[in-house]
Amino acid sequence: MSLIQAILDGLLIGGVYAVISIGLTLVYGVMGIVNFAQAEFLTIGMFVAWFAWAFLGLDPVLAAPLSFAVAFAIGWVVQGQLIARVLSAPSVAQIFLTVGILIVIENGSLLLFGSQFRSVTTSYQTESLSVGPLFISVPYLIAFSMSLACGVALWWFMRASWFGRAMRATAQNPAAARLMGIDTALMYKMAFALGVGLTAFGGAVILPYVTVFPGVGGQFVVLMFTVVVLGGLGSVAGAVVGGLAVGVIQSLSSLFFPIQLQNLVLFVVFILVLAVRPQGLVGASR
Amino acid sequence: MKGRIALGILIAAMALMPLLLDPRGYWIRVLAITLLFAAMAQAWNIVGGLANQISLGHAAFFGIGAYTSTVLLLKFGISPWLGMFAGGVLGGLAAFIIAIPTMRLQGHYFALATLAFGEVMRVIANVWTSLTGGPGGLSVPFTAPDFFAFSFKLLRPHAYIALAALVIVTAIFEGIRRSAMGYRLRAIRQNPAAAEVIGVDTTRVKLQAAVISGALTAMLGTLYAQVAVFFDPDTVFGIAGISIRIALIAILGGVGTAAGPILGAFFIIPLEEIMNDLLSSRAAGLSQLAFGVILIAVILWRPRGFITVFDQLWARWSRMRSP
Repeated sequence: MSLIQAILDGLLIGGVYAVISIGLTLVYGVMGIVNFAQAEFLTIGMFVAWFAWAFLGLDPVLAAPLSFAVAFAIGWVVQGQLIARVLSAPSVAQIFLTVGILIVIENGSLLLFGSQFRSVTTSYQTESLSVGPLFISVPYLIAFSMSLACGVALWWFMRASWFGRAMRATAQNPAAARLMGIDTALMYKMAFALGVGLTAFGGAVILPYVTVFPGVGGQFVVLMFTVVVLGGLGSVAGAVVGGLAVGVIQSLSSLFFPIQLQNLVLFVVFILVLAVRPQGLVGASR
Repeated sequence: MKGRIALGILIAAMALMPLLLDPRGYWIRVLAITLLFAAMAQAWNIVGGLANQISLGHAAFFGIGAYTSTVLLLKFGISPWLGMFAGGVLGGLAAFIIAIPTMRLQGHYFALATLAFGEVMRVIANVWTSLTGGPGGLSVPFTAPDFFAFSFKLLRPHAYIALAALVIVTAIFEGIRRSAMGYRLRAIRQNPAAAEVIGVDTTRVKLQAAVISGALTAMLGTLYAQVAVFFDPDTVFGIAGISIRIALIAILGGVGTAAGPILGAFFIIPLEEIMNDLLSSRAAGLSQLAFGVILIAVILWRPRGFITVFDQLWARWSRMRSP
């Protein structure tokens, strides 16, 4: 029974992993840039939601759109002013530009908010629903549902809206997209802002069960990379599968191994997947 | 020619520096660390620069070197000089093991796989308490000053050992760069498929380069442990502190060149120290924030590294000399 319980917990946590990682894979898919600073936008999303909770009394789940908006705005500026300049530079310059952004955001939030741990209290924080012999944690369930809604909205946006189609066209062939009258620089800004916005959204919905501090993003970096590599770098659908898989792996490994080894299992899976199927479990299509 | 002149001047200048600094002071320590990081970035350059395989996991080898010599010293009283070679063997072995699954990977995938490998080593070092002391870290015991025991009263000998290490690693890098192996590695960088077609055994060459780079990095880890005297898993296996910093030094200086890592190290490490000195008393995070801003500015200004500034100056100067 604890096995099924662990898988259930893993799926619920994994849904959130999917949403925070979709941003990473979206940016890569559209621009070919691996954003090492992506997890810092999770921190930003958490801080926004925390302040909204502390000063406006807003539930973190309701503050999630606000987190999205703030990160979207920051991402828009970061893409337009910084990343746009290295799009044709060697990939090492791209990697280390995003590492620089990571350092700035992490230490900027340390400077602004201090190093203390902040958490929220909500009415449903410790509640769980019992379904037969299984328990469903309410904060997990809410975070999962919000992530699901967000993922569906993104899917609709990418499939049905003009912007989504233009963005996919830019990802496939920027030169041809330009010939069709698409402003690719705008699409890049849109993709980056949307990507970091989604990650920030995920940051807000996990706030009821994760404590926020300036280094919190660092704990998610390798996890997010594992998710996107499992699903195939650049594949949004893959990130969903990868997110759920990582959630389940994490949850199951805590059944069999001491808690300190939880991430070790993840990293080993990560390296093995890279070695065996570098295009990801889902496939090469994006 | 110009490279040789520049390198000669650099080495002479670096050899003078330990004499000018207060042997009990803070800056001689910074110098020793700078030289060690320059050497590490140079070892990284063998794989990262020549074959363009960007490793973000070199902390794995570095930490192996630091732990091997220190554990051998603590448990068996073996001199760190010998421990350094033991660490080199283990570092080379680790590089071999990680190279097998990651060798076929390119670009971002290779970077991410090596990043995860560094993290694996960090977790293992934290958990294997009986060997490593776990998160509490290890202290290098102090013994009576003796060259063969790698124990000195002041830091000046450490600075010279680090300088010697830098010269040796740079010589190895240059030797490889000019050898057939160097050409093979650059062929892989340009076009792996084409290199394979013209008969380069890409797997073998990459393995060789990875093992040399890993072994050298581990040996430098021993030297670092002797200077640092105390370390823990999160320091020597750190992503930001070691893996990314090593790669960053080579990249900011100029990847694939012998002078690049030296320029990069003498820019980054002292800059960080000065920032810490000036700013860390004011507010937590300020010095690192400033460091990040400078990093971003430098990358936007010189995406191919500082070395390009010197190339430009040299070109201008030669044009002026022979109109």
